[in-house]
Amino acid sequence: MTPRARLHRYGPPLLGIFLFCLAWQLIGTYRLAGLTWPPLTAVLAYLADPAHHQLLGRAARTTFAAVTLGYLTGTGIGLALALLTRLFRPARAGIDRLVALVHATPAIALAPVFMILMSRETIPVAISALAVTYLIYVAATSGLEATKAAHADLFRTLGARPLTAFWRLELPSALPALASGLKLAVPVSFMGAIVGEWFGASRGLGLLMISAMQNFQIPLLWAAVLLTTLTSLILYGLLGLFEAAVHRRFR
Amino acid sequence: MPQAIPDAIRLDGVSKSFRLDDGKTVTALEGIDLGLREGEFVAVLGPSGCGKSTVLRLIAGLETASTGAVRIEGRAPSELAAAHRLGVAFQDHALLPWLSVAQNIALPYRVAGSKVDHARVDALIELVGLTGFRDARPSQLSGGMRQRASIARALVLDPDVLLLDEPFGALDAVTRRHMNVELQRIWGTRTLTTLLVTHSVDEAIFLADRIIVMTGRPGRILREVTVPFPRPRDPSVLRTPEFHALVDELTLALDPEEAAL
Ligand SMILES: Nc1ncnc2c1ncn2[C@@H]1O[C@H](COP(=O)(O)OP(=O)(O)O)[C@@H](O)[C@H]1O
Ligand SMILES: [Mg+2]
Repeated sequence: MTPRARLHRYGPPLLGIFLFCLAWQLIGTYRLAGLTWPPLTAVLAYLADPAHHQLLGRAARTTFAAVTLGYLTGTGIGLALALLTRLFRPARAGIDRLVALVHATPAIALAPVFMILMSRETIPVAISALAVTYLIYVAATSGLEATKAAHADLFRTLGARPLTAFWRLELPSALPALASGLKLAVPVSFMGAIVGEWFGASRGLGLLMISAMQNFQIPLLWAAVLLTTLTSLILYGLLGLFEAAVHRRFR
Repeated sequence: MPQAIPDAIRLDGVSKSFRLDDGKTVTALEGIDLGLREGEFVAVLGPSGCGKSTVLRLIAGLETASTGAVRIEGRAPSELAAAHRLGVAFQDHALLPWLSVAQNIALPYRVAGSKVDHARVDALIELVGLTGFRDARPSQLSGGMRQRASIARALVLDPDVLLLDEPFGALDAVTRRHMNVELQRIWGTRTLTTLLVTHSVDEAIFLADRIIVMTGRPGRILREVTVPFPRPRDPSVLRTPEFHALVDELTLALDPEEAAL
């Protein structure tokens, strides 16, 4: 890429981030949004202060563990369901409807059910996994339908057995859609875990946000939000790079 | 004599209609009777949309006839594919974008579950003039190069039946001539029953034993012409008066309105 092209590509997003930070800072400094909006530097200073590291660190470890588990479980279940519809086509309509139904039910409404079904500490994982399952299921099923007719024809004339066609054609053809799903599932898994912590978890960034809000610990609240958002954004960006690589290669 | 040997490929009273999304049906082919003897090279000429690809797809087992029967060696076309004895080069090259040229050409081995003969893959890459591009991806190739890769892929398993759907359409005149000469050379070395769909009258006459001229709406066989030139054919045959006479005859058959002028 030429320096000029690079400027065109990365300039606007970087400028956007800079303006966002600047606006945050100015609104905070001049109290334009009241006392509950601290300047960005105050939040960063709070995050940087070693005195807060133990509290934030423990909460972050708990939440990120729930996010990871939720993401992986949801991905696993989503993929398994998608594979099931592929291997056993008649199951497709039923599973589609079930997954859509579960997705259409707000997690908030399901939470009380979860509370009597499982421990408070597993609810973040469950809500996160549920949301991820839906996304990955949709991505994987549409990916498995993305096989080009011309390629399917080719495999038929080559006398490919169904399993061969699956490994050598349908699966690679599904990867671009799947990679997009994996990227989109990142913020969803964070949201699920954070919301899940509001139903009685004993530790975590979501819990920290709630208690900081109730105790008017404004910098702590914003620090927890910033930590969550930044982690989610960075992972989203990394999976975006992965997605771009998959799209380049498999499309 | 030809009657003594049963046809390798037979279409008997074949018609094919497609049901469209709006419920209407289109008759793509009607009353097609066509036989290809084992080892025969037949070219199909005809205007766009007259059903050439449909004939090829019926023989490939990708479509089933609405009426009539398509038989290869007396059996269903799908059996030939299942035995990995069919080679097809599609109008749209159908290369897998995630595989290199060499991997695409080796794909039939992998699908058949047999060991890849790398020497043969390389030889075919050279034959179709893609040396230096063996590790390139299809997206890095021109349209003509992709078509050549797909021809190599169709040949790699040394099939008994070869179906070519306008495989040289995207090639420039010089490469096309070169590919014609190479195909005729391969074809001279072994028994390979071939159906070639083409737009080029020259190409059909240079390569084929017999030429089928089709008309459209619905697709029918208008006439059949046996090509009189002995094999092996030297490209110099393209400059003979007999060749030009045949070109004129077929061009006229393809465009009857011109004949009326
Ligand atoms: N899958 C299909 N669905 C509907 N119509 C089709 C289909 N395939 C071919 N046709 C129709 O059949 C006719 C013949 O098509 P085709 O065999 O592709 O012609 P050609 O290869 O000679 O250009 C055309 O009118 C085309 O629109
Ligand atoms: Mg066609």
